[in-house]
Amino acid sequence: MTYLRDRVGRWVTPHMLVALVFFGTLPLWIKSAGLYDYIGIEIVIWIIFALGYNLLLGYTGLPSFGHGAFLGIGGYAFGWFQLNVMPNLWLAIIFAIVITALIGAAVAVFVSHRRGIYFALLTIAFGQIFFFVASKWTSLTGGEDGMLNIKRLPADFGFVSFSLQENAALYYFVFACFAVTVVVLWRLVNSPFGKVIRAIKQNEMRVGFLGYNVFFFKWAVFTISCAVAGLSGGLLAMAQEGAYVQVMSLQWSGIIVLMVLIGGGFVSFWGPVVGTVVFFVARDVLGMFTETWLLWYGLMFMVLVMFKPEGIAGMWQDFINNQNNRRAAPPPVTAPVAAPVPAPASE
Amino acid sequence: MDFLFNLLPHLVNGLALGLLFALIALGFMLIIGVMEVINLAHGSLFALGAYVALVIVTPEGGMVVPFLKPWFGIDIVPRYVAGLIIAPFVVGLFGMGLEICLRRTYGKDPLYGLLLTFGAALVIEEGIRVIWGHGEYVLPLPKGIRGGFFYGDLIWSTYRFYAALFSMAMIGLLWVFIEKTPYGAIIKAGAHDSEMVRALGINLPRLRLFVFGFGTALAAIAGIIMAPIWGIRPQVGVDAVIPAFVVIVLGGVGSFWGAVIAGLLVGMVVGLTAAFLSDWSLLSMYLLLLAVVTFRARGLMGKASVLEN
Amino acid sequence: MALFEAQKVHKRFGDHVVLEQIDLSFEENTLSGIMGPNGAGKTTCFNVLTGRYKPDRGRVMFDGRDITGKSPGAIAKMGISRSFQVMNVFDEYTVLDNVLLAVPRVRRRSLNFLHDLGNDSLSTDKACVVIGKVGLKGKEHTAASDLSYGERRALEIGIALAAEPRLLFLDEPTAGLGTEATAKLADMIRRIKEGLTIVIIEHEMQFLFSLADHINVVQWGQVVAGGAPDVLRANKWVQASNLGKLA
Repeated sequence: MTYLRDRVGRWVTPHMLVALVFFGTLPLWIKSAGLYDYIGIEIVIWIIFALGYNLLLGYTGLPSFGHGAFLGIGGYAFGWFQLNVMPNLWLAIIFAIVITALIGAAVAVFVSHRRGIYFALLTIAFGQIFFFVASKWTSLTGGEDGMLNIKRLPADFGFVSFSLQENAALYYFVFACFAVTVVVLWRLVNSPFGKVIRAIKQNEMRVGFLGYNVFFFKWAVFTISCAVAGLSGGLLAMAQEGAYVQVMSLQWSGIIVLMVLIGGGFVSFWGPVVGTVVFFVARDVLGMFTETWLLWYGLMFMVLVMFKPEGIAGMWQDFINNQNNRRAAPPPVTAPVAAPVPAPASE
Repeated sequence: MDFLFNLLPHLVNGLALGLLFALIALGFMLIIGVMEVINLAHGSLFALGAYVALVIVTPEGGMVVPFLKPWFGIDIVPRYVAGLIIAPFVVGLFGMGLEICLRRTYGKDPLYGLLLTFGAALVIEEGIRVIWGHGEYVLPLPKGIRGGFFYGDLIWSTYRFYAALFSMAMIGLLWVFIEKTPYGAIIKAGAHDSEMVRALGINLPRLRLFVFGFGTALAAIAGIIMAPIWGIRPQVGVDAVIPAFVVIVLGGVGSFWGAVIAGLLVGMVVGLTAAFLSDWSLLSMYLLLLAVVTFRARGLMGKASVLEN
Repeated sequence: MALFEAQKVHKRFGDHVVLEQIDLSFEENTLSGIMGPNGAGKTTCFNVLTGRYKPDRGRVMFDGRDITGKSPGAIAKMGISRSFQVMNVFDEYTVLDNVLLAVPRVRRRSLNFLHDLGNDSLSTDKACVVIGKVGLKGKEHTAASDLSYGERRALEIGIALAAEPRLLFLDEPTAGLGTEATAKLADMIRRIKEGLTIVIIEHEMQFLFSLADHINVVQWGQVVAGGAPDVLRANKWVQASNLGKLA
C-alpha cells in the first residue's frame, strides 16, 4: 500500500487531483458562479502558458519580459498550418509547438549566457522585434487585423470525432491539454533537472563550478517554456478563431509576469494557476465596476514584490505552517528528499 | 553626391535624436551610479513627462482642471515654457516615490528590484492609459520652433534644430552641475563608492532620493522635447529605455562623454534608418541592442556588477 | 610528475601585473598551502588555477594534461573542486540538497527526467557520508540559511568535497571564523585529507603551518619562498616579514 502511494506520489499528487477535479468540472458550475463558458477556456489556456513561463521565472529566476511574443507565434503557426497545409487538429497543434520551440531555441542561444537585467532587456528587445515583424508582415499574419478565419478543428481519433465548435467541447480539449501539461511539467520540476534549475536561481556560478553546463540548462528551460507557449498559442487561436498581434505586445508580456508572481510562482508549482485565475476574475468582476482594474492589479503586483514576493501561494504556505506549528512539535527529521520542504517550490 | 546631399536633413534629425538619447541615458546613468538597480520605469516616466506637459500647455491635454481655464487663454510661449519647467518637477516627484518603493528591495536578490521597476513601468503606462486613453496626442508648439524651412533646395525641420540645441544646452548644464558644483561632486562620489559617501556623513538615502528625482526629471524633459518627434502615446516608454540602455552599454557606465558620444551614434543609426526605411527606425534600435549586448558583453567600467548580476 | 602544476603563469589586469611568471607544483596526496598577505595575488592565483580567469601566458597542468583556459565546469568534471572564500551555498536548499547537487552520480543523471532522487539511496548515502565528514551530521534537513556561520563554512567545503575530487582547492576557509571554529576546521581538514590532494590559500599562519606538508609564499605576484613549514620558519625572508613573527 505504501509502495503504491509512493509511486502515485511521483506522478500525481493530492494538489494535482484537486486542480484536475476543479477544472475538470468547471463547465458544470461556471454559470452558477456568475461567469460564462468562454472565460473557462481563456483561463485554462493562460494557465498552461503561465505554468510553462514559471519554469523560467519562478524556478530558474530568469525574467523574460517578452514572452507574449511566443504566444503570438504559436497562434500564427497554428493558423497558418490549418489554412495553408492541412486542417488537422493534431498536426496543427504539433506544428505550433515545434515552430515556437524552434524560434524559442534560437532566441535562447542569445539570452542563455545572461541573467538579470541583461536577460530582461534582451527578451524585451526580442519581444518587440517579433511584435513589430508580426505587425508589418501583413501577408503572413494579417498585420494589425490579425489572421482570421481560424477554425476550431474537430478532435478526430479515427474511430470517433468530436466537434470542438461548442465552447464546452473546446473547453474539455483545452482541459485535456492542461492535464497533460501539468503532469509533464510536474515530473520535470521534480526530477534532477528541476533541482538543477532551482539551484541556478539561487547561485548560478556555483552550479557551473560543480560541472553542470549552466548555459545548456538555461537554454533548455527557455525552449521548453516556448514549446508550452506554442501549445497555448495554438489553443488560443482556436478559442478566438483568429490569431492577433496584441498578445505579443509588451503589455501582455508584462501581464504574464504579474500573474505568475502574484499567484506565488516563486514558491509553488501551483502559483501560476492561482495568479491566472485571480487575473481573469479581476478582469471580469472588478472590470464591471471600474475601467482601472488593470491598474489595481499592477499596483497589487508592486506591493507584493515589496512586501511578499512569495505571492498568494506564499501567504497560503505561511498560513498552513502557522497552523502546523500551533498544533504539534516539528515533524521528525527522516523525510525523504522529495518530500515538501518549507520555502522551495515543491508543492 | 546628390544622394548624400538629400541625406543632410536626416543627419540633422539623427543628431537631434542622438542628443536626446544622450540626455535620457545620462539621467538613467546617474541613477545607476548611486543605486543598485536599473530603472526600467525610466521610459514610462519619460512618457509621463510629455503627458503632464500636455496638460499644462493645452486644454486638449486629456485632463482639464476647471479653474485653470483662463490660463489657456494666454500666449502659447509662456504656457510651453511652464510645461517644460513644471512637468519635470512633477515627474521627479513620481521618481522619488519609486525610489521609496524600491527601498524594500535593497539587499535582496536584484531580481526583485528589477521586477519592481518593471511593474512600475507597467503601472505608469496603464495609469496613462486610464487618464489619457489609447490615442495619440499632439503637443502644441510655439510658432518659432515648429514647421520647416527651405535652405539650399532642401526641406529642414525647424523643430529638430531647436531640439538639438536645447539638448546640447541641457547636456552642457548637466555637465556643469556634475563637474562644478558640490552637489555634483557628491553624486559622482556616490556613484563611485556609496560606502565612502556614507562614511563622509552624507545622507545616502536622501542622496538616492534626490538623484532618482533628478534623473527622472531629466527623462521627463527629454520626453517633452521628443514629443513632437515620436508622438505622445502610452507605449512610447519602452522605446525610450532601450536606447538609454544601448548608450550605456556602448559608452560605459560612469562615463559622461561616453554616453554623449554613444548617444549620438545611436541617434545617427536610428535617424539614418528613418531616412531609408521609415517604419523600421525604431526596430533598428532593438536590433542594435541585440548586437551590442551580444558582442560588447563585458566592456563595462564602473558599476559593471550591477548590470552583470 | 606532480599532480598539478602551474608553469610560468602570468596574469595582468590592464596595466597591473598581478601574477608574474609563477611556478607552482602540488604533489599527489599532499596538503599544500599558498600563503601571503592580502593583495599579494593569492586570490588571483587561485582563480587562474581553478579556471575562473585565463592566464595571459603560461600553462596549467593537471595530471599531465593541459587545462589552461578551460572553463571551471570542465575542470570540475576532471576532478578539481574548489570552495569559496565568500560563502557560496544554496540558501534555500537543505544541507542534504546542497551536497547532493555536487555528487557526480547525481550530475550525470541530471537530464534523466525519470530518475527519482528520493529513491536514489546510493547518491543520498554518498552525500550523507560527506555531511558526516564535515561535521554536519544531523543537520541534513536544515535549510542552509538556518545554519550558523561555522556550519555554513563546513557546508561550503562539503559541497566541494562531495564532487569526489582528486584535488581540492580551499579558498581562505578560516575567513570569519573565531579561534575555536578555526581549530574545529583544522580537525575537519585532517579528517578529510585521506587520499586527497588539498591546496589551501590562507593568510592565517598558524592554521596553515599546523596542517600543510608544503607551503608556497606569494608576495608581489611572485612565489618568494616554498617548502615544508619547518624549513620556512627558518627562511630569512619569512622571519623578517610580519608572517615570520606569527609562525
